[in-house]
This record gives sequence, C-alpha cells and structure tokens, in this order.
Amino acid sequence: MVEVTTMKYIKKGDILVSGVVLTLGLVLAGPSSAHHSVQAQFDVRKTFTISGTVSKVEWINPHSYLTLNVKDTEGKVQKWAFELAAPGVLRRAGMSREDRGGLKPGDEVTVSGLASKDGSNSGWLQELKLSDGRVIKLATGPNGN
Amino acid sequence: MMRFFRYRSMIAVAAALCLLPAAVIAQQLSQVSRTTNTPPAPSGPTPRTPDGHPDLSGVWNGLGDNLIGVPNQMANAGIAVETETSTRDVFSGARIATFPRNSTSPLNDEQAERASTLVRRMGSNRPIYKPQYWETVRNLDQNANEEDPSNNCMPAGVPRAGIPSFIGQTPKYLIFIYPGQGGLIATQTSYRMIPLDGRQHTPLQELDGTYTGEAIGHWEGDTLVVDTYGFNSSTWFDQVGGYFHSENMHVIERFHRNGNTLTWTATVNDPDVLLEPWTTTPRVALLNPNPKAVLPESLPCSERDLAHLATKEHH
Repeated sequence: MVEVTTMKYIKKGDILVSGVVLTLGLVLAGPSSAHHSVQAQFDVRKTFTISGTVSKVEWINPHSYLTLNVKDTEGKVQKWAFELAAPGVLRRAGMSREDRGGLKPGDEVTVSGLASKDGSNSGWLQELKLSDGRVIKLATGPNGN
Repeated sequence: MMRFFRYRSMIAVAAALCLLPAAVIAQQLSQVSRTTNTPPAPSGPTPRTPDGHPDLSGVWNGLGDNLIGVPNQMANAGIAVETETSTRDVFSGARIATFPRNSTSPLNDEQAERASTLVRRMGSNRPIYKPQYWETVRNLDQNANEEDPSNNCMPAGVPRAGIPSFIGQTPKYLIFIYPGQGGLIATQTSYRMIPLDGRQHTPLQELDGTYTGEAIGHWEGDTLVVDTYGFNSSTWFDQVGGYFHSENMHVIERFHRNGNTLTWTATVNDPDVLLEPWTTTPRVALLNPNPKAVLPESLPCSERDLAHLATKEHH
C-alpha cells in the first residue's frame, strides 16, 4: 500500500525556527551524528545509484526513511529503504511538505548513497534527484564535502 | 580503542592518535562557525516568581548531550570542543587534540567517526567503579551496539537525559520535558513531574524502580536541587562509556539560573558499583532567545538500524 506518513507536521506559521530546532538541526547535521556509527552499517567507500518510485516517506527518529519501489533486472518490484538525515537537515535541504517540494508516493526519483554492509536493500541517502530536475543533497560525501 | 577507558596513562598516546581529526568532529557535527568555546556569558535579568525563587521556566536549548548539544560544547566527562581546531580537558587545561584546518589531505567520515569515539572518552572527569566492575564497564562500552539500553528508542533516564529542553515551574511542582532525539542515542520523549512541596521520599524499598525514579525538588538559596532515587537498572548514567548502575543509584541535580543561562550538574551516588560519587562537569544551557518559542512535537521513535550493523564500531 502506498502511503505518506505525514510530511505535514510543519504548518505554515509555526514557530519552528526556534533556537531549539535550530540547535537540533545543527547538532544532527552530518553522518557522524547518527545514533549508530555510519560505517558500522554502511560502506563509506562504496556508493551506488538507483532509480525507482517513492513508496513511503516516514519522518521518524532516530532517522527518517525513504522507501522506494525499484524494479530489478527481471522486472520484479523490490523495496529499498534509504536512511535519511535528521529532520532539520531535510528541512534546510528543501524537503518539507509536498507543496514546498517534498516527496509524494509515485514520484520518480534517483537516489545515490552509501551501500549497506549486510547486503540488505538499504542505503544511506546522500543525493536525491527528482524528476523535475531538482537535486537535493542531504549528507556529506565520504570526503566530508 | 576502548582500552583507553581504563588506562589513563595511555591518554597521551590517544592524544597523538587524535592529533589530526579532533575538530573534524566539531566541523561535521556543527555547521556553526565558532571560533571560541568559552561558556556563554549570562545576560539579562534572572526573573523571579512571586514566591521569590528564580523562575526556571522556559525553553532551554539543552537538547541532547552531543559535544555541541549545549553552547559551550562540553561533555559531562570534561571534554570541551574548544574551537574547530582544538579540544581541551577543562580540568587539567591540557589540550588533547588539535586539527590543522588547512591540511591538504582530506579526512573522510571513517576517520572522523573513529576520532570522535576516542575523543568522547578522553575527558578526565569519569566515574570510578569498584575494580571488580572495570571489565564489565569496558565490555559494555565495547559492545555498546548491543548493550546500550537506551539506543533503541528507550528512555535515556536520569541523568543521561541531561538538561531538560523545557522547564515549567509552579510554586508546588516543576515539569521537565526531554524531547526524543536521534543524536548520539535514539531515545523517546520523556518527562518528569517534580514536587516542590517539601514532601519526603518514599522509602526506597517501597518503590518499584523506574527510568526516571522518584524526584523531589527543593531550593537551596537560588539553586534548585532535585533529589532522585527509585530507579530501575535499565539505563546508563552518561552518554557513552558503558556506565551502568544499580537500582540503588541516587542522583542529585543542581540547576542554577543566571540571566539567560542555566547551569546544571548531576551527582551520581551508587555505592553498589562506584567507589565514590561522580559529579558531571557543569553544563550551561541558554534560554531560547525567542520569547514566543514553543517546544515542537518530537518525532516518534522507531529504531531499524541496530539489526543491520556489521561491525562493533559505535560512538
């Protein structure tokens, strides 16, 4: 089932750019702020790119998730789960509610990220290309750029 | 790497190892351009409630206990990320790591993560366990991916939760709110309701242990003292280090407001496992400068990564 687990918790006019939120965003900026070691789960030297359609976007702690439907070489649909940066980072990168450039189910996207070490269909999302040409960079690359 | 925990004499070696990457951590964790790390100077008046006590109410940006989670970037162990190029032990004054910013060889996330893991354990202010528990603590720390009791959306507990992000104060009680976070650990939102009415603690043996225990507050001059016991043993009492405790842990927190700053310390007394009480390095939180600030809803917590970890590396 296709669903969006709300991207609408940010309402226009909310006082979200408070010091607390700002601090949260800053504190959680970058891979080394993950609640787990990034390299314990992902190979920081191995990036990959994959295309698919958005199945689900979840804004949750400790990481938000983007789930894609990706067709494999046999045409069979596989679920891929991409771990996202913290909400503050996503917001500053331009991902918020749909009418301000967020994602919705069915969107065609191409994502690049770090590969999982355990071989599961998952990754640490670093770059998101939307079908309208926008590119959202969410995390630093392996060289901190 | 965790062996440094036990062998203080090896700190010098650790410092050498850390020579390069230390402040990459600061750079990565923080997008803030910061050139100094002196604790924030208080400004503005210290408001008082009608009964004459300092008014601690407000949104305090004490979120999390990351090294840069509070304005002076200081950890409970006494490590201060002093500038983007320097980390210092605030007790001895010794600089324990430096980073040449203009290095031409870029450091990758791998190095930065490992460096931050090391630096976080290099503060000199650490709890002293009874010798029979040294190995236990070391093992818990080394295997934190599996052993950390709070990293799968469970409560951080007290005093690991640090400085509350919101304090509500009435003459008879206080409300502390700690939003769930996904920083160094993944924890759910927790709250504490702390009576100020002069009541006494329930006898310890009558309390079923809980994550936040039974807290009772009182004023010592202008300092709020929160006395808490009645814990379960399902938390650690600092962010890193494998610092487990018994159900007999007793925590005394002190909150002192000066203008727009709130200084917090916690003293952990647990004679079952510690040789002596341990007091955290004072941390300072700043009042949110926006008078209309509200604490936003924190996201629900759902942990999905720990099962996919392929190595023992951790924070």
